[in-house]
Amino acid sequence: MVSQQTPVLEMVNVAKAFGGVQALNGAELALYSGEIHALLGENGAGKSTLLKALAGVHRIDSGSIHLNGRDFEQGSTRTSREQGVAVIYQEPNLFPDLTLAENVFAGRQPQKANQVDWSGMRREAKNLFDQLGVKLDPSAFAQGLSIADQQIVEIAKALSTKATVIVMDEPTAALSSKEVDRLFKVSRNLAAQGCAVVFVSHRLDEVFALCDRITVMRDGATVGTAPTAELTEAKVIKLMVGREISELYPKQPAKLGDVVLRVDNLGLAGQFADINFELRSGEILALAGLVGAGRSEVVRAIFGIDKYDSGSVTLNGKKLKAGNPALSMNAGIALVPEDRRQQGLFMPTSIDKNSAVTMLKRISRFFLVSSRSEKKLASKWGEILQLKYSSGSDPVDRLSGGNQQKVVLAKWLATDPKVLIIDEPTRGIDVGTKSEVHRLISQNAQEGMAIIMVSSELPEVMGMADRILVMREGRLVGEFSRSEATAEKIIAVATGASIS
Amino acid sequence: MKQILQRALRVRELPISVFLVLVVLATGSTNHAFFTLSSLQDVLLGVGIIATLAVAQTLVIVMKHIDLSVGSTIGLTAYILGASSSWGHDIWWGLGVSLSVGLIVGALNGFMVAYLKLPSLVVTLATLYIVRGVFNEIAGGDTITEDRVPRAINFLGLNRFYGIPLIFLIAIALMLLVGFVMRRLRAGRDLYAIGSNLQAAELAGIPVARRIFGAFLATGAISGLAGVLLLARFNAADANSGAGLELNVVAACVVGGVAIAGGVGTVYGAVIGAVLLQTITLALGALGVAQFWQLTVNGILLISAISLDRYLSSRVKATTIMGSSK
Repeated sequence: MVSQQTPVLEMVNVAKAFGGVQALNGAELALYSGEIHALLGENGAGKSTLLKALAGVHRIDSGSIHLNGRDFEQGSTRTSREQGVAVIYQEPNLFPDLTLAENVFAGRQPQKANQVDWSGMRREAKNLFDQLGVKLDPSAFAQGLSIADQQIVEIAKALSTKATVIVMDEPTAALSSKEVDRLFKVSRNLAAQGCAVVFVSHRLDEVFALCDRITVMRDGATVGTAPTAELTEAKVIKLMVGREISELYPKQPAKLGDVVLRVDNLGLAGQFADINFELRSGEILALAGLVGAGRSEVVRAIFGIDKYDSGSVTLNGKKLKAGNPALSMNAGIALVPEDRRQQGLFMPTSIDKNSAVTMLKRISRFFLVSSRSEKKLASKWGEILQLKYSSGSDPVDRLSGGNQQKVVLAKWLATDPKVLIIDEPTRGIDVGTKSEVHRLISQNAQEGMAIIMVSSELPEVMGMADRILVMREGRLVGEFSRSEATAEKIIAVATGASIS
Repeated sequence: MKQILQRALRVRELPISVFLVLVVLATGSTNHAFFTLSSLQDVLLGVGIIATLAVAQTLVIVMKHIDLSVGSTIGLTAYILGASSSWGHDIWWGLGVSLSVGLIVGALNGFMVAYLKLPSLVVTLATLYIVRGVFNEIAGGDTITEDRVPRAINFLGLNRFYGIPLIFLIAIALMLLVGFVMRRLRAGRDLYAIGSNLQAAELAGIPVARRIFGAFLATGAISGLAGVLLLARFNAADANSGAGLELNVVAACVVGGVAIAGGVGTVYGAVIGAVLLQTITLALGALGVAQFWQLTVNGILLISAISLDRYLSSRVKATTIMGSSK
């Protein structure tokens, strides 16, 4: 079906940096009309950044983009759409209070004598749904629509604007298998009508079932493009991970002690199920998997932020009460959350106050908190963690990302936890601070702390962990010891690929 | 069957209309005088002003905004209309000034909310005070009495058309006009889109700032002209006229199903809400209930209205990472 004319979209040698981080460097993507094209890569390989450049969210630093034979004008999401690019996000952005017909035509409703032509609009929406081969009622309201149906509405919108390139960013992540089948049918319909469809997915079986060609990205660059028929899942995985594990991770061997934490049959409806593992003192256990596999949900439940429905968490032989973070904290669990700006810190508040906030009970007298003892505590931990700051009374949002992360670590290490849970320990921080954070984690493990690390970065997982648990779609699907883990094996289990 | 029920629940004017009928029947069966023509006329006469302002308020509430300045504006223009003859001007001058005052207040509100992106609650609370302050300076201790009210306006307050008070008819005409705009014109639909999902509205290429500005401008203009109704109804005006009306207006909208969270509700609902609140006031009077209880009942009604909203919108299917059909 792929016509060998000139590509409808050509992105050549695209580069883009955020601050000091080079997100794209040498990224390429060529699409032909009528094809379904998979864009693959690990978390952080640059897929999203490349597609966001196309969607008009980011501007590229260098490189060229041609669309429909013309220079692509970079501006806003609006200019992108006007040039024929439509992006279907994993979580579509609909108007819940409007009908599906209006959702498709919002802002450009069909008119008759300058009035909104309601029946014409419903008819046209119905036509679009029919073209896509789905049964949706144009006069139903968008509120309460399943994610799968919301995506269809977005696709109908794209079709009605005569989009030539339709990007689907991980559309299947929240769909059931029946819904995935329907989306495949719709995608093939789109391609048959001459659209170029970009399909981003971590599920390799889907990619191989659906796509005509595959482009693989790694570390911001395109490392290969080939027709699907010429590739195997094993080859694709090799392309995705083919890099050396650098010596960034100074993990020191630590002596494993007794079991500290036991998680039995933990489950939360719709989030995760049958989670079982043990954690020993001195051990670093990594929870690996794709973004959205349910890892953060599991650690949140263990710490008590969310209440699990079944199973139990046992700390030093005593069962923990579900859904009570204060008790978990007193029992000796600490959680460094994944989003430090939203969940980890009080951004406008001082470094001193942020560092001491977990210790208020211990440093207060007669219910009054003395700021002198806050300061003492903060400067003690600032020294241990080599925090770079000018004054403890500065608000934390003046610090760099890496130093902010150190403040979050400080406030939890100050509680002297038996189990430290760190969700994405080094997301968005520079390389230098990264290795300091790793050294800290390793050092605490050596001193007997038990550590659970959730990380989406494979090198970090393989460099730091004694043991690796892999999650997919809310379940534990693999376990590797440090010596048997390879990037290929972990990716294969995390994506559900079948390699021998 | 389930779908029909869901559709019916979606017609947000339905539960409150049913409730209105129940209130009338219950009160009437206890006190037959409540069924008379004159008490119906009392309701309609009293409700005209709130209904008019509620229609205007609907324009901003569906966008998830609010306009608290309307009480000050309507009071000021009622006074100006009454004072215009003693200042040596005719009624047309008074109407022109009233419209201008409304447009200026509306433009100020709209500019600050749409372009400076300030929260409408605070902006319009500020203009409520500012306009009331200017009003006090202009009016001082002066009171407009019946003899100073222009003839035409006086006529409006006293007369009926087939038994229906003219003030109420004006409110109905405005309701139909604004109802048409909000249902039939793209600009009107845009207001719903903005209130339903601001980000998506921007992505859909809707001129969000222009629409917000336009809606505040229209609300201001209607409130300015509504000074006519206030003066017609009470045949009097002073520096306190219209004070506190804004809250009754918001209450009427919310009770009538115009969600404060934006995106839903119609001017028809807002007017029914106004009628319901007015009816309850009179019904409690007819039943011999002390007047202060009326406020308590209004409060309970408000909470019921938003609870119903909450219930209806909380039944959105949750989708999860383990797939939605488990």
